[in-house]
Amino acid sequence: MLKNYIKIAWRNIWKNKLFSAINVISLAIGLSASFVIGLMVYYDFSFDTFHEDGDRIYRVVTDFETPQGNYKNGGVTPPMRIAAKEQLTGVEQSAYFYNWWISEAKAEANKQTFKDPERIILTEASYFDIFQYKWIAGSKATALQQPNSVVLTRKRAEAYFPNMPLAAVMGQSLVYDGTISATVSGIVEDFDKRTDLHFNEFISLETAKQTESSDQIFGDDWGNTNNASQLYIKIAQQSTPEQIKTQLATLSEAHVDADMLKYNNKRTFNLQALSDLHFDHEYGAYGYSDYEADKGILISLVFVALFLLLLGSINFINLNTAQAASRAKEIGVRKTMGSSKRQLVLQFLGETFLLTLIAALCSVVFCVLALKAFDSFMAEGIELSLMLTPWFAALVVVLVIVITLLSGFYPGVVLSRFKPARVLKGSVSSSKEKGVLRQVLTVSQFAIAQVFVIATLLVGKQIYYMMHQDLGFNTEAVAYLQTPWDDFSIDKRLVLEQELKRIPEIQNVSLGGMPPASFNMATRMGIFKKDGQELIQELQILNGDTEYLKLYDIELLAGRPALNDTIEEYVINETGMRAFGFKDPEKIVGQYLELNSHQRLIVGVMQDFNQRSLKDKVMPLMLTGDTSRDRRTNFRTLHVKLTGASSGWQNTIAKVEQLYQEVYPGEEFRLSFVDESISKFYKQEQRIATLLNWATGLAVLISCLGLLGLVIHTTSRRTKEIGIRKVLGASILQINALLCTDFLKLVIVAYVIALPIAWWGLHQWLEDYAYKTEMSWWVFALSGLGMMLLAVLIMSFKTLKAAIANPVKALRTE
Amino acid sequence: MLLQLNHIYKWVKQGGKRVFLLNDISLQVEEGEFISIMGPSGSGKSTLLNVIGMLDEFQEGEYNFLDESVHTLKEKHRSKLYKEYIGFVFQAYHLIDELTVYENIETPLLYKNVKSSERKALVADMLDRFNIVGKKDLFPSQLSGGQQQLVGIARALIAKPKLILADEPTGNLNSKQGEEIMQLFKELNQEGVTIIQATHSEANAEYGNRIIHLLDGSKTKA
Repeated sequence: MLKNYIKIAWRNIWKNKLFSAINVISLAIGLSASFVIGLMVYYDFSFDTFHEDGDRIYRVVTDFETPQGNYKNGGVTPPMRIAAKEQLTGVEQSAYFYNWWISEAKAEANKQTFKDPERIILTEASYFDIFQYKWIAGSKATALQQPNSVVLTRKRAEAYFPNMPLAAVMGQSLVYDGTISATVSGIVEDFDKRTDLHFNEFISLETAKQTESSDQIFGDDWGNTNNASQLYIKIAQQSTPEQIKTQLATLSEAHVDADMLKYNNKRTFNLQALSDLHFDHEYGAYGYSDYEADKGILISLVFVALFLLLLGSINFINLNTAQAASRAKEIGVRKTMGSSKRQLVLQFLGETFLLTLIAALCSVVFCVLALKAFDSFMAEGIELSLMLTPWFAALVVVLVIVITLLSGFYPGVVLSRFKPARVLKGSVSSSKEKGVLRQVLTVSQFAIAQVFVIATLLVGKQIYYMMHQDLGFNTEAVAYLQTPWDDFSIDKRLVLEQELKRIPEIQNVSLGGMPPASFNMATRMGIFKKDGQELIQELQILNGDTEYLKLYDIELLAGRPALNDTIEEYVINETGMRAFGFKDPEKIVGQYLELNSHQRLIVGVMQDFNQRSLKDKVMPLMLTGDTSRDRRTNFRTLHVKLTGASSGWQNTIAKVEQLYQEVYPGEEFRLSFVDESISKFYKQEQRIATLLNWATGLAVLISCLGLLGLVIHTTSRRTKEIGIRKVLGASILQINALLCTDFLKLVIVAYVIALPIAWWGLHQWLEDYAYKTEMSWWVFALSGLGMMLLAVLIMSFKTLKAAIANPVKALRTE
Repeated sequence: MLLQLNHIYKWVKQGGKRVFLLNDISLQVEEGEFISIMGPSGSGKSTLLNVIGMLDEFQEGEYNFLDESVHTLKEKHRSKLYKEYIGFVFQAYHLIDELTVYENIETPLLYKNVKSSERKALVADMLDRFNIVGKKDLFPSQLSGGQQQLVGIARALIAKPKLILADEPTGNLNSKQGEEIMQLFKELNQEGVTIIQATHSEANAEYGNRIIHLLDGSKTKA
């Protein structure tokens, strides 16, 4: 029986090649998208799932509520390290570590230095109690007992000491930043499963007393929170997170400090489950790469996959019910041969299954290609090998079954309902079937596609708007060069500045901090005393020399720039001025502002510019010089204004690099163009745009394929009618219009449905942006028109052919 | 007695009025009979055959097949009944285009859950009997009309029915092919199969041992 079904299924698939192809392609698109997205979801959800008692491990984090807004910090205050051990009950274990950033590590044995080694933490032995590592050498009981001892993972050990047996690595010494030495006291295996706790080097916490971070770790200031200070706890079996949170609340209340009261800040300690570590950006994990997991994006991806699957299934249902008439005879005969309805439904499900299976096989191949094509879009760890996991196999099986049922069941039921007595008389074939369901499905299909199209256009428009909006300062032909961060002195930078000024293609050079818009901004609290009242305002601080404003074309509205590069005088922006209650720029010039308990002079007012992406509003900001040059300079970036055509810049940059290498031999040359670095603000948006482009393209493709199938079906069904109309004198265009109108109506209804949905959704999305592009009517009109044009084009492909055909032939076939 | 129809009425509503397709039909068929139903187009021949074959329903009357009263049976039981005892032959052959000759003949056995080895033997016998072994892998479209009808009859016979219902079995055939088919029916009848055929042709009707005349859904005396 089964063999018979498969045979007839295969012959049917083969006989209707075009329809089968449409069905397979539509389903394959949906399935491929689901496979790829499934892998992405699986990847992100499989982080840190392997830890023993992982459900009882939490990170202690800190939430702040301030008048300026709420924010979250993944770290804790230093005294919390002790408090967690001594004052919290219901905690089985607690482990503190400090995320240590150093500029170099040196292996004594081979005198080799390693620049910017990442993934180093200063920690205590209990870290290894909470997180179970496999020990190759040493033991967790003793390895971190002594100061100046370090545990390496196998990979790190092999990197530091190549060609040395692991046993010999024990006892080797390492020197960090040239001053702090440590002896290898243990070697562990790297975690072989996905984890965000990807540290490679564990230095005993006591060692930190010799470093500059000592205060950050061993201090007793409850008011200082650093996100490098990380605290994990494993709560006892009989305890609950709520109980711990209550105790944490008591702790934070007991240690409110004066500043927090003064500035009306509220701080609470909180717990973050280990399973949330991978997704929460506000607390942050320990990212060393660009990729960020985002639950929001993952969820929208899942929806995209579902929609594409749905669209594919709709094609399947539409085409199969439309074709039902051509299968009617077979069904009638089978029923007279004694087939039951159930057997017929099963047979059609079998056919659907076969088609879905073919689609799934194609999809696996597509999936491999897609993983390669989208390499840059996805996290590094998403590889082909993920396709070999049982999880992926299960996904394939489940999807094939679900799709088979979804697309096959309804057509099966429709077909099996035919009454043999009537079918065999031939009365079903061309009777007017209602096909209401088919119309509903086609409408929903096009509505989905239409929403995608509108969204793509508008998101694209917003991105274009943000990238081309005037930020309030010059972004063109400006590059900035970052110098090594571990050089604290200004001297070499001054030398470099002088050298650069000599290059004729460089119009201007300025020394300073980061460009006017960047990810890095220092902030300070400014207090302004006015009429006996204190106005407190958070201010962003930008450092730049006297050329800085000129180089970036930032207009000075009143007053003057600072007198020289090191005097602590401030130029405030308009927003900052207004925050302190001034309307006239001239009035604030000459006023004093309290910063860090010192009175500082405001010497000028500059025009507003955007310090971040256009998602955020302009913040109060002040520009000052190199105020702490004697300790460590803030002027770590050289800003360069280039002249001439951009084609010549390559040469100029080469000259800059040469000069840089003379001043900083062997250091990395990090030069970026300001406009390019600004476009990085919109990485998230670019990702959404890429995603939308694909989703839209595929959704439109599937819908159009379905439409094509339906049009082919109806025109062939109406061949006789077309023939008669032509004999009666209808023109080709009239016939074409007649055939297209029915479908065009559906596309228009779909548009009307899609319009409010798209409008509402995009309105929500734009809410996040301080600066939004207009939701212009033409975006909506254009996408609707485009869709209709496309539909007419596709339909005409078939209908014109039918209209041109010789009517005599059409009439003879009946 | 094989089957009995008592005062069967079947109608459809057209513009609020009843149009009778079958009007008070009573009929008794014994095993081994060969009955021809005659009448012009639209007289109700096919409808009567469909009712007898349990493919179509009727509004009033009683229908007993063997010892079962068909009008009270659920569809499931009815289909079981005709699957077991009735074979159909159609004017337009109604072979499944996507199946080969062999597979077409085999299909009724599949629905009766006959075992694979037994199926093979039965189909081989049937192919042999009708001399179409050489055509078993051809598709219906590759056969002449007479050959297709031969396959149709083979398919109707494969499940060893007691009753064959043939609706204008020779309507699409030329006279020579038609004669061969009728001869075949005669042989089958002699082997004990009950046959009811609907036909236009006087000559074909003569093969039967009883002729029933229909006009506008009612039985008329010839």
